[in-house]
Amino acid sequence: MSQIPVILIFLPVLTALFIYLFKWRHMHLLALLTQTGMTILAIVYFLHFKDQFEATHIILGGWSDVRIGISLANDGLSMAFIFLTLFMWWSVLTYLYRFGKTEHTFLFFLMFLQGVFLGLLQSNDLFNLFVFFELTTIIVTILIAYKKTGESFRAAIYYLLLNTSGVLLFLIAIVMLYNLYGTINIRVLSEVIHTHADTTILKFAYVLMMTGISVKAALFPVFTWLPKAHGVAQSAISALLSGLIVKGGIYLFFRINFLFESAGLPYHNIFFILGLLTALSGIIFALAQKNIKLMLAYSTVSQIGLIIMGLSSPDITTFYGGVLHTFNHALFKALLFLGAGVIIAVYRTKKLDEIRGVFRTMPIISVMMIIGMLAITGMPFFNGYISKSIIKYGFEDSVFRTLALYLVNIGTTTLFIKMSHIFFGPKMLSYPMKHRQQNITLLLLALACLVFGNFYVEIMDAFFGIDYAHITRISLGGLLDYGITVIIGILIYLYVLKKDVKLVKGIREFKISFETANILFIALLTVLTFYFVIL
Amino acid sequence: MNPILTFIVILIGFYGLATSNNIIKSVFSVTIIESGVILLFLNLGNLEGGAIPILNDQVSYIVDPLPQALMITTIVIGSTVTALALMLCIKIFHHYGTVEWKEVLGRKDVKS
Repeated sequence: MSQIPVILIFLPVLTALFIYLFKWRHMHLLALLTQTGMTILAIVYFLHFKDQFEATHIILGGWSDVRIGISLANDGLSMAFIFLTLFMWWSVLTYLYRFGKTEHTFLFFLMFLQGVFLGLLQSNDLFNLFVFFELTTIIVTILIAYKKTGESFRAAIYYLLLNTSGVLLFLIAIVMLYNLYGTINIRVLSEVIHTHADTTILKFAYVLMMTGISVKAALFPVFTWLPKAHGVAQSAISALLSGLIVKGGIYLFFRINFLFESAGLPYHNIFFILGLLTALSGIIFALAQKNIKLMLAYSTVSQIGLIIMGLSSPDITTFYGGVLHTFNHALFKALLFLGAGVIIAVYRTKKLDEIRGVFRTMPIISVMMIIGMLAITGMPFFNGYISKSIIKYGFEDSVFRTLALYLVNIGTTTLFIKMSHIFFGPKMLSYPMKHRQQNITLLLLALACLVFGNFYVEIMDAFFGIDYAHITRISLGGLLDYGITVIIGILIYLYVLKKDVKLVKGIREFKISFETANILFIALLTVLTFYFVIL
Repeated sequence: MNPILTFIVILIGFYGLATSNNIIKSVFSVTIIESGVILLFLNLGNLEGGAIPILNDQVSYIVDPLPQALMITTIVIGSTVTALALMLCIKIFHHYGTVEWKEVLGRKDVKS
């Protein structure tokens, strides 16, 4: 029973090896079988340890010294992320399923990535965190490059080099912490972190870790790899990357903040500002694009900014609002990316101007996409509204923060008003049969959006024990807010974006070279060092 | 060896990342940063005159074995990253005919 975390890591990896070694036609079914087994195991584990997460700490290899062994541990947050991971893999695997056809190499990397990601979530020592962190980078690079076009290769190497240098900063921080405390076990470390007298090195280690995580989580100056990678990968991979793998960075963001909690570092304001800048720059770039995948990718950047704004709050309810938004974003962004993937496959183009009449051609997929769009823009009854309301509720006493939140939301609404143009127009082409089974996946994700929009009180109570009964499903103020936001969005669209003024064109063609991305990366490191260590 | 020297190695790597316009040089820079980190950790775990870390009742003054165990993993991961990055460089050269960042990133998609 207590060894289930180890099984959760190794089962997908072993399945991946099995798929690659014995290339049978129906291997995809084996992957689905493994997925079923893992889901059952995770549920059993969660129900068993629900009230005693302290007991989940396991040291591998029978090592008696808690301070240096390889260890795994779980709590409510990691369990919630494990269920999200399993759900996302369910969606991607069912989306990719073709009867009697299996792409073995692709499936190998996909299943391997799942094991590695589950390891990242459950790892309780810093060095294994680094190993899993780097392994996700490597496998994701391969998955980005999998289409074997020039564009995907250049996106892959951009991603690999930028993220590896980020992860190496994380490693330097681990070296420093080991040198100070003689342990890399997160639970032990979080108890002793305030005991050391030399806080300068401690702060510097925190800064290095946060800079490394910022690259992975695509924070403000270092998000440039994300649209490149998410824009060129296959739609299923884009959904996985946007929905989950970026959240690996966010997961580490609050894990490391928990670790340094007793050191009392003043991280709340600076990360609020960084989150705001991420959200604004993401949405500005998104609005200027004309490629639907790039629009969705930049929208991911802006939503990550929103999540970081919530997570950097000192108030625990607002913090869990950020966590809830992480889940909601995973659901609706996966829905949008997968829906867009079907549309792109049928129309054979990614250009917004060339796709028209989707509603007549594919009514079911259009309804799902519209559900996703309503969810991301924050319509009452859908999940985006709930998490945005929680964050808004937490920012109520600060005018600046509330305004910032409204600004980001107006941007998102405008973006999806722009994108909704694909639905109008006459039927253009017939819709091939082979895409029909993907409706099931989209239906699953759309249902999840509705479930999270209506049963959030029960879900949050089960995992985190936080009561959100004060956030109502629907209120007059909420509807009014949404209506006003939509009207402002339509006005911005009609008077600024539709005319394609010079500024919009300039933003669309604005490119950041690799050297500049690295200079921005070093600049972020310098700013954080200045803020935490010197001030 | 002074830890400051290893930091200089790391900074050289970052300097390379921030200035070179060649993809292969960027790969080298990442490798240099990594070597710097490995040197730093081995250096901090070292003891002047310490014995090799094999458990033995006669020796008590031994080098900390953990940094070495961890760094061997890092070296393995590092070599994977380098191999993957160089493979991507070859593929990029096949598709674009150059390994300059500016030309590769500036060009519109080339149909393969």
